[in-house]
Amino acid sequence: MAVLPTRPVEVPRDIIAGSAVVRRAPRRTGRRRSGSNRRRPWLGLLYLAPALIAYSGVVLIPAVQGVWLSLYHWDGVTQATWVGLANYTDFFSDPTLRQAVTHTLYFIAFFAILPIILGLFSAALSSRKEVRGGSVFRSIIFLPQMLTPAVTAVVWKRIYAPDGPINDVLRSLGLGRFALGWLGEYTWALPALGLIGTWAAFGLCMLLFVSGMQSISSELYDAARVDGAGPIREFFTVTLPGLRGPLSVVLTLTVLGAIRVFDIVWLTTRGGPGISTITPTIVLYQRAFANPDIGAAAAIGVVLAVVSMSIAMMIVKLSEDKT
Amino acid sequence: MISTREKVSNYVLLVIVALWVLFPLVWVLGVAVSPNISGTLDLAHPQWANFSTAWHLAGFSQYLKSSLLITGTVVTVGTLLAIMSGYAFGVLGVFGEKLFFPLVLLGIMIPMETIVVPMYYDFQSFGITDTYQGIILAHIGMGVSFGAFWMRIAFRAVPNSIADAAAIDGANSWTQLWRVYLPLARPAIFTLVLLSFTWTWNDYFLALILVSDPAHQPLTLGLGAFSGRYLVQTNFLAAAAILISLPVVALCLAFQRQFIRGMLSGAVKE
Repeated sequence: MAVLPTRPVEVPRDIIAGSAVVRRAPRRTGRRRSGSNRRRPWLGLLYLAPALIAYSGVVLIPAVQGVWLSLYHWDGVTQATWVGLANYTDFFSDPTLRQAVTHTLYFIAFFAILPIILGLFSAALSSRKEVRGGSVFRSIIFLPQMLTPAVTAVVWKRIYAPDGPINDVLRSLGLGRFALGWLGEYTWALPALGLIGTWAAFGLCMLLFVSGMQSISSELYDAARVDGAGPIREFFTVTLPGLRGPLSVVLTLTVLGAIRVFDIVWLTTRGGPGISTITPTIVLYQRAFANPDIGAAAAIGVVLAVVSMSIAMMIVKLSEDKT
Repeated sequence: MISTREKVSNYVLLVIVALWVLFPLVWVLGVAVSPNISGTLDLAHPQWANFSTAWHLAGFSQYLKSSLLITGTVVTVGTLLAIMSGYAFGVLGVFGEKLFFPLVLLGIMIPMETIVVPMYYDFQSFGITDTYQGIILAHIGMGVSFGAFWMRIAFRAVPNSIADAAAIDGANSWTQLWRVYLPLARPAIFTLVLLSFTWTWNDYFLALILVSDPAHQPLTLGLGAFSGRYLVQTNFLAAAAILISLPVVALCLAFQRQFIRGMLSGAVKE
C-alpha cells in the first residue's frame, strides 16, 4: 500500500477502495485458515536444517572468516600478525593488483558489453517471424555455453597458436610477418583472451533476449512498419525498449562474470605474458596458494564480494527506476 | 511483410555469426582426427583411434570415475536438499524466516572466489582436502542458495486446494511432499538436476583448489594436466577435450527445451 501515493494517476479512488476490500477479505475466507494448516514453522526449520548446516559450513562461516583473515598478514604456516586495513590499501599501492583492476575494465568490455551487443544483434536477426530456421541458428550460437572452460581453452589455444588457422590465413594472404602466437604477445594477449570470452558468452545473452522479445507485442512491430520504419529503426524504437528487464539480468550476469573471471585466463595465459592478462582472481589464487599471503588473498575476495553485490544492486535499482 | 533483400541480408548476417561460433569447434574436431601430433589439419587420413589413444594417454578412466562420483553425489544430495528447503520456505514456513531466507539468498550473490580461501584452510584442518567428501560438500553447500530459491518458487505454484485435500486425508508433511508436491513440481526438479549436473561436471576452479591429488580429480582437471604434460600431442589433446564435452552437450541437445528454460529462469546463479 505504501507505493500507492507515488502513483496517483494510475490509482483512481474506486481501485483504492477495492483493494481495501480485497485486503480485508482473505482473513474472513477459508483460504487463510486452510493455509495456516500447512504453515508449521518449526517443522519447516527441521526440513531446512540439513541444507542450512551445509550452507553455513561452506558459505557463511568462510565468508565471515574471509573478512577476519583479510585484516591479518599470514603465510599459512607461522603466526599471523594483525595489519588492519593494509591488505586493502594494496589495491592502490600494489602494481600487480592495480594492473589486475585495470584489466577488469577490459574484461567488462569483452565479457559484458560486446556479448550484449552481439547477443541483441543475433537475437533480433534470429527471432523475426519471417526468418526460418531461427532456432537452428540459436542452438549453434548457444553451443559454446555448454563447454567447460577447460575445453574452451584447448579450442582457442589451437586457433591462436603460431601454426594455427588464423596465422595460416595471414600467411596465405602474404601477411606472414603479422603471424603471431596471439596469446603470448604482450600487446595482443588481452584482446585475444577477451574475444574468447565474447565468443563464449554471447549465446546466453542472445537466449535471454530472445525470451524477452517473445513478450513484445507483434502489433508494435506492425505499427512501426506502417509508420515506415526500417529494420534498424524498428530495432531501436520497438525491440530495445521492450528488453529493459532482460537487459538488466544479462548486464548483471555478464559484468559479475567479467569481474571474477578466472578459469579461461588461468587455462590459457596464467595471467601472462608477464602480468599482461592478470585478473584480480588470478592474483587471489597466486597469493593464496603459490606464494602464500593469505590475508591479501582474503582481502581481494572481500572486495570482489562487495563490488559484485553493489553492482548487482545498482543494476537492479537502475532497471526498476526506469520501468 | 519484409522485402526479399532485407530477408537475404538477415540470413547472410546470421550465417556469418554462426560460422564464427562454429569455426573454432569444427577446426578442433578436425584436429582431433588428424594424424599429426603438431596439431595441423590433415583430413585426408582421419584417425578415429585418436579418441581411444587420447583416453588412455590422459588416464581418463580414473578422472571419469571421480567426475561421475562427484557429480552423481552432488546432484542427488543437492537436489534432495533443494527439495526439502524449498518445501520448508515455500509451504511449511520456517521459524525465523525473515532472517534465514535473506541469509540463504545472500549465497547467490557471494562469489565463490571470496569464500574459497578460508574454506580451503577449514577443510585442511578437518583433513578433507584431497578427498571426495571435501569437494562434494563444497559443491553441495554452494548449491543450497539457488536450490532453495528455485524449489520455493516451484512449490509455491502448487494450488492450495490439492494440498488441502491431502491434508484432510491425513497425510503427514513428509508424505504430502513426496506424494503431492513432488509430482507437481517435476519440471522444476528436472531443470534443477540438469543445471546442477552441468555446473558440477564443468567446474574447474573449486576442484583446482580443493583437490590436488590426481586420484580424486575430475575430468576438467585431468584435461588441464594433459594439456600441460602433452603439449606437443595437440591432436590427442583436442580429442580428449571433445570427449569430456560430450556428456553435457549430449544432455543439452537431448533436453534442449527444458535446459534453455532452466537457463532462462535460473540465470541468477552464474
